[in-house]
Amino acid sequence: MDVELTEILEALCQHAPFNEIADDPQLNDMTKEIEIRYVRTGEWVIAPSAPNNTLFFIRSGAIEVLSKEDKLIRRMNEGELFGYYSLLRGGKSSQSMRTIEDSLLYCIPARWFLKLYEENDIFSDFFELAREVRLRVAMESQNSDVSLMTCPVVSLLRRPPISADISSSILNAAQIMAEHRVSSLLITDKDELIGIVTDRDLRTRAVAEGLAYDTPISDIMTRNPIVMDSGDYASEAVLKMMERNVHHIPIVKNGRPIGVVSTGDIIQKESHGSVYLISDIYKQTSIEGLQSISRKMTHTFTQLVLADANTQMIGNAMSHIGTAFVKRLLQLAEEKYGPPPVPYCFIALGSQAREEQTIKTDQDNALILSDKYNKKLHGEYFEALTDWVCNNLDKCGYDLCSGDIMASNPRWRQPLSVWKDNFSEWIQKPKAEALLRLSIFFDLRGVYGDKTLALQLNQHIRKEAQEHSGFLTFMARNANQRKPPLGFFRQFVLDGEGEQSRTFNLKERGIAPIIDIVRVHALACGSDKLNTLERIEDIEAAGLLPGGRAKDLTLALEMIGMIRIQHQREQIENGEEPNNHVNPENLSSFEKRNLRDAFHIVSRQQEFIKFRYAGKRS
Amino acid sequence: MKNQSKEGIQDWQAMFAEWAEEAPEGPLKRYYQAGMIAPQTALKDTPLLALDLETTGLDPSQDEIISLGIIPLNNKTIRCQGAKYWMAKPERSLNAESVTIHEITHSELEEAPRLHAILDEILMALTHQVIVVHCVAIERQFLLEASMKIYGFPLYFPVLDTMDIERQATFKPWWQRFGRRPSLRLDACRQRYKLPRYKAHHALTDALSSAELLQAQISYHMDPNANISNYWV
Repeated sequence: MDVELTEILEALCQHAPFNEIADDPQLNDMTKEIEIRYVRTGEWVIAPSAPNNTLFFIRSGAIEVLSKEDKLIRRMNEGELFGYYSLLRGGKSSQSMRTIEDSLLYCIPARWFLKLYEENDIFSDFFELAREVRLRVAMESQNSDVSLMTCPVVSLLRRPPISADISSSILNAAQIMAEHRVSSLLITDKDELIGIVTDRDLRTRAVAEGLAYDTPISDIMTRNPIVMDSGDYASEAVLKMMERNVHHIPIVKNGRPIGVVSTGDIIQKESHGSVYLISDIYKQTSIEGLQSISRKMTHTFTQLVLADANTQMIGNAMSHIGTAFVKRLLQLAEEKYGPPPVPYCFIALGSQAREEQTIKTDQDNALILSDKYNKKLHGEYFEALTDWVCNNLDKCGYDLCSGDIMASNPRWRQPLSVWKDNFSEWIQKPKAEALLRLSIFFDLRGVYGDKTLALQLNQHIRKEAQEHSGFLTFMARNANQRKPPLGFFRQFVLDGEGEQSRTFNLKERGIAPIIDIVRVHALACGSDKLNTLERIEDIEAAGLLPGGRAKDLTLALEMIGMIRIQHQREQIENGEEPNNHVNPENLSSFEKRNLRDAFHIVSRQQEFIKFRYAGKRS
Repeated sequence: MKNQSKEGIQDWQAMFAEWAEEAPEGPLKRYYQAGMIAPQTALKDTPLLALDLETTGLDPSQDEIISLGIIPLNNKTIRCQGAKYWMAKPERSLNAESVTIHEITHSELEEAPRLHAILDEILMALTHQVIVVHCVAIERQFLLEASMKIYGFPLYFPVLDTMDIERQATFKPWWQRFGRRPSLRLDACRQRYKLPRYKAHHALTDALSSAELLQAQISYHMDPNANISNYWV
């Protein structure tokens, strides 16, 4: 009698991507090969750096995903899948997974994942990393020299092939691999390639089977391995690895092996994308060149999101790219207008200073001049320099600031002593409304020029802020201005009109309030950090928040940030201009739950700072 | 948590050897001849098979088996690959009440073979396995009755009873009890371990349910390295 595990099949088909391919008759066959595991709280499902050959479906419970550095990347709940990223990379897992509740997991063999992935487009579309790889193969327009599309597979080779003769024993082979520190070994017969042996073969076919050390290597090698020609593109190697589920491909030239490409080589190449982009920026000598790079930024952004980077990593990468544009433009400006007559420091404000930029940002910047500055002598030079830089930043996708907070505005191009006086005024005689507009100046980072000017100013700000607690009362009050849309889960309290009436602004109502809260605490404890997560660490160390509450803020920021990033990636994919307006109807129940939790955290913490920095009532 | 055995350890291996001699020629003799694991076998090395029956009623002497589901497991994983399911047409006709409980329709049962035609195959599947059930009294008794009727000799096998395991795990002396005793129904036990809720009364789903429950119980209350004789009944 045909066995149907209806309970399992139905559970799978309630969730993406299985709900969309529920009519695929193969699903029933797949269900029959599922294994089920009950895992108690706190146990590893995929231990750090352990290989993975399973797609996991969370039937009940929850897990957390940790980075190599043991940092929390995200949490996953009932109905979600994990482990596929490593399956697409041939079993190598860069993240680890641990249960945070007692969990019941359905373990789907890699074989089935790869089969469905190959045969069913709806299924594979769901696993977006892969889609991106395919897209790249289909797209011929990319002409950057870092793209896998255009780089020949030979460029990935790092050493000549390590090989052993067919007459070798398992022991000989393992010794050769250990000596050269390689994870694969080519087996040759009179210099002709006839097989390959990998770490995994030694583990599963030799050690696990209890074979004697003197067993001939030919007993466990893979005969007639898939090879590629030295002229093939690296992208084809990626596809072949995924199709055949192999980790190593020997590369041959005129029939002779010249090296081996592994999944690790490819990942390494890929993850450097943003680094290459930055080095590319510094090579440009014209605005046109910079503009053409700026058009690739959406691609880099998408790439990072698809590579499972967290918001911190993405913010960091995007900010460094932004900073590279600023620096390169200033270098070009100094070539054009000559070297500066007095020292200056170009400063980034707001998200770029905090290294939390995303894809779509206005420019917020200013200039600190040395106190040797004399307006009559030097004014014209700096006006021309900053106008040129700000306008060209605009051409490179960093829109002019609507509030005119830019170095090109003479008000924000001042000698250090004037800046210090400004801040003293703002801090000693705080005005709520003015501070609302000025909060961006309290995230200030020198990016080019004499950075000691920015350091001195930051020191001054810290000192003043700690000496004037009344100022913190105002900042705390301002941090309470923008409330998270807590009601939206019940009655859809949404922002805006027209097209945006069904949405709310994640940045304004989720991310900005957290940044504001953290800034107040950071000023209170004299932290010299600018990045919000780093500030939270300082705040935690200073004991400003009750136990565990600082970590809550990190989590909330990550949850909201992740949803925002995914939202922007989807917009880019649909050819739309990325923004911060999220329609709650487009969120999964899991995302909604996360958002609600995050908003509750924000709301509680807003209450807390109101009380914490209440000040004296007179 | 350990099973308090009354007279030393229960040696199903020895009992199987004895019955292998006595049983009449045929499938049941072959079942006993295939033997049983030694009582010193560690729980983690024990081949386990979760089993559930649906019947026409609760009285093993009167009512009949109408479906049977099995699914293999060990202390770590449940393997759907080995899942099997049978339906059997009862000798007497069904009453309306039991039809609603089981979600099995008359027409499905009408087309099913009689139990005696499939019991050989079922025995093959049970060979050498320790059986996992929720409430040993029901499943073992029904199979015993069926075996007596068909082979004229008892079918008997070692069992891990998830209900009994739960009873011991939740046991508290009366002076520590507060309010009602915890429910030992399968669904209630599963909720204690945060296992998902399943539709009850399908033999294969219920077998899966008790298999998952046993895994949870093992991870909380049992020692995978302990002898199976501490647990089987």
